[in-house]
Amino acid sequence: MKRILCLFSAVMLMSAMSWSQVKINFETYKLKNGLTVILHEDHSAPVAAVNVMYHVGSKNELPKRTGFAHLFEHMMFQGSAHVAYGDHFKLLQEIGANINGTTNEDRTTYYEVVPSNNLELGLYLESDRMGFLLPAMTQDKLDNQRDVVKNERRQRVDNVPYGTADERIAKALYPPTHPYSWPVIGYMEDLTAASLEDVKGFFQTYYAPNNACLAIAGDFQPAEAKELVEKYFGGIPSGLAFDRPKPQEVTLPETKVLVAEDKVQLPRLYKTWHSPSSNTREDAVLSVFGDILGSGKNSRLYKTLVYDRQIAQSANAGQGGSEIGGTFQITVTAKPGKTLTELQTVVDSLVNDALTNGVTETEVEKSLVNTETGIVNSLQTVLGKAISLASFYDFTGDADGINKQMDLYKGITPQEVQTVAKKYLQKPCVVLSMVPQGKTELAVQNSH
Amino acid sequence: MKTLCGILMLGILLATAAASAGDIDRTKRPVAKPAPTVHLPDIQKATLKNGLQVWLVEHHELPTVALNLVIQAGSDHDPVSEPGIASMTADVIDEGTTTRSSLQIAEELERIGASMGINSSFDGSSMTLNLMTKHLAKGLEIFADVLTNPTFAQKEFDRLKKQRMTALMQQKDQPTTIANNAYAYILYGGDHPYGNNPSGTQASLDKMTRDELVTFYKTYYHPNNATLVVVGDVTMSEILGTLESALSTWQPGTIPPFTLQAPKPVEKTQVFLVDKPGAPQSEVRVGYPALARNTPDYFPVVVMNRLLGGQFSSRINLNLREKHGYTYGANSGFRFNKGAGPFTAQGGIVTEKTDSAMREMKNEIDLMREKGMDETELKFVKNGLIGNFALTFETPGQIAGALQNIILYGLPEDYYKNYLKNIDAVSLSEVNGVAKKYLNSSKMAMVVVGDLSKIQAGIEQMHFGDVILCDTDGKPLPFIKNSDK
Repeated sequence: MKRILCLFSAVMLMSAMSWSQVKINFETYKLKNGLTVILHEDHSAPVAAVNVMYHVGSKNELPKRTGFAHLFEHMMFQGSAHVAYGDHFKLLQEIGANINGTTNEDRTTYYEVVPSNNLELGLYLESDRMGFLLPAMTQDKLDNQRDVVKNERRQRVDNVPYGTADERIAKALYPPTHPYSWPVIGYMEDLTAASLEDVKGFFQTYYAPNNACLAIAGDFQPAEAKELVEKYFGGIPSGLAFDRPKPQEVTLPETKVLVAEDKVQLPRLYKTWHSPSSNTREDAVLSVFGDILGSGKNSRLYKTLVYDRQIAQSANAGQGGSEIGGTFQITVTAKPGKTLTELQTVVDSLVNDALTNGVTETEVEKSLVNTETGIVNSLQTVLGKAISLASFYDFTGDADGINKQMDLYKGITPQEVQTVAKKYLQKPCVVLSMVPQGKTELAVQNSH
Repeated sequence: MKTLCGILMLGILLATAAASAGDIDRTKRPVAKPAPTVHLPDIQKATLKNGLQVWLVEHHELPTVALNLVIQAGSDHDPVSEPGIASMTADVIDEGTTTRSSLQIAEELERIGASMGINSSFDGSSMTLNLMTKHLAKGLEIFADVLTNPTFAQKEFDRLKKQRMTALMQQKDQPTTIANNAYAYILYGGDHPYGNNPSGTQASLDKMTRDELVTFYKTYYHPNNATLVVVGDVTMSEILGTLESALSTWQPGTIPPFTLQAPKPVEKTQVFLVDKPGAPQSEVRVGYPALARNTPDYFPVVVMNRLLGGQFSSRINLNLREKHGYTYGANSGFRFNKGAGPFTAQGGIVTEKTDSAMREMKNEIDLMREKGMDETELKFVKNGLIGNFALTFETPGQIAGALQNIILYGLPEDYYKNYLKNIDAVSLSEVNGVAKKYLNSSKMAMVVVGDLSKIQAGIEQMHFGDVILCDTDGKPLPFIKNSDK
């Protein structure tokens, strides 16, 4: 249930015995103002990625002010003290850069991939909005981007089949005070309520160099890059300390069964459990379990529901770890004429069989091989590497996590998969039926 | 590593302590520098005994290999009476060979972490394989087996047919897909492949048989109708022998001649409305059949459209999104197919502003046609295209895509070598000439999928042209005239 929003839509994968871990060389240092800088040289193509990741996301918001971190992300593209309205994009598009920003529960990140000899422009623009955003902020800009974000919500949530499923589940899974209980995009009424004062307060609290990580990857000379970084970012003052949301003990006392009608043809079943945070051993183990259940034609859910019995159109399962918690989710879409009660019975028996009788060595190995391939492929682009380095720094304190991604998976056994899966999936969960309008009889009727 | 970083860090602080950012003059922006030299992939070529051409680009950054077999027959080869054959052929080909079942193929690929995909577009079909170099031999064995020994088993065909029909049903949930399909039908009609859903229709799938897929496969999947692109951590000498033996039974065939009829032009501007009660947004598509990939005006058209609607800082997006807040994003583009693909301006528009947004789209098209752009704007978009070229050869996937482009559309082999020169050579008079020649708001279809109870009256008041109510396939609804409402 990892939810990431982009500023605009753009058109963005080991054998068990020997991992082909690719080594990413980098160096990292801090400026006096607390800005963490990570440099990775890669001269294979004349491109450089500049990625500035702020350790703030929707979980830093308050109830009634949801969607603000993402709305704020949009404001970062509206110009700063020395960059006129509209110029941020124009300057970068004139050099042919690829640009975007994304927000999730835990972080907001901004990037531009530039032809390498224009690295300086990217650094200039990022530093100007890190240091000098507020003088250029106006009510008009806020009003316009509020409209754009509301349109984004319509485009991604309200006008999309099953689009509101994620927020219905989150609301049921967490208590209302838990920062993962609301959607990253926010609720319409909260977006309406956002004020210019909110923008200023948010910037002053979270958009300081000591809450940011600047990762530069690609075709550049480190000495030159360091000079430029100091030149443009060195004088930006540090921000004050603030409290980060802490992991909270969240439990569901009992399974919640929800039904929602939507403009869809086919009913879909969502089963969601609380699960471990990202970058933990248990997160890795459960992601292997997710693969075993739902990844590929031979996976347990897909093979039984979609391939053999053909009672489902699709079947998926997966672990989604975030910074202070995670979810494990199974989604199954029924074939015409099938009820979700019927599907749930099969899903439950398959999951229970895995929990009771365990999984096989081959299943675990296949997952690990595919994980290895996924990791290697994630290192194809300078942008992928820059974002990954910054993420590991932000969430583990160690950018070298990029080189240790398989470590969390080392030695995972069928027994361990079974043990961890039992620990989490034998607990109560949220069961959501999304059904065609007027067809509540297709929903899960009796759970447990 | 840690210690080394510490030393480096100290060095930096000492060296730059004097230059604080507080001192710099931020009104002086870094001057944009000319685009860097791009090292184009060095294409090595070989021909197998069966005539298959192999194009290889070595890329040793990561221990991976990407293969893409480009087949010169796509959905444009579907009989107009039976769309979906090319795409179903691609779907079913990996569902079993003479020695491997559907599940075995999947299992063997999963065990080596390889992903194989067979897809079709209007312009061609392609079979791809992405994997770690260490698994190349095994991967190639499966790839070749699927390509040369498919059984198109009845059971697998039946299953995928049902699955496809259900997927078509689900497409009716998606306003964007409804809009795209209705728009294509309205522009090209059911008699042209571009007017049909390349996935097929309930009716075409209902009557489709496995034998038709076998015929499509036997007619077009031949080495003399295909080219194999290989990009990655491998050399020609390493791969050639394996390919030669794996594909030895794959033989050339006689490829029937193929011509694509020209689409009928749009005669006058009309509005086509598809009702989606309760929709919070309207999906808008406006345009007409336009240009094929081989148009001599390709470069000026690309340059012109980049300013009109081809990037974030385009006129259409700045107007509809940044100025008016009507949308999350609006754009325009020419789809250059083997035949004349459409010109389309499009966006998801907040219901209440649908009519205004349509007017603004039309205005931007008219403005570009009538007044064109100026030298500053021309320089802006050309610089962007030239700079962006540096970003397009970074990954094996991107390189393979570039090669596929040359192969599929018969572009000159030095196409990318001359790309920058060709962009640079585009003149203002050419750009403004193609704007006049290819933009025409008086002969376009304006297709809207939205809540008609809220948007129809406003759209009618704009007087764009006749308003025609359509079903979700884009077919006019009978017996409902405007005046009856």
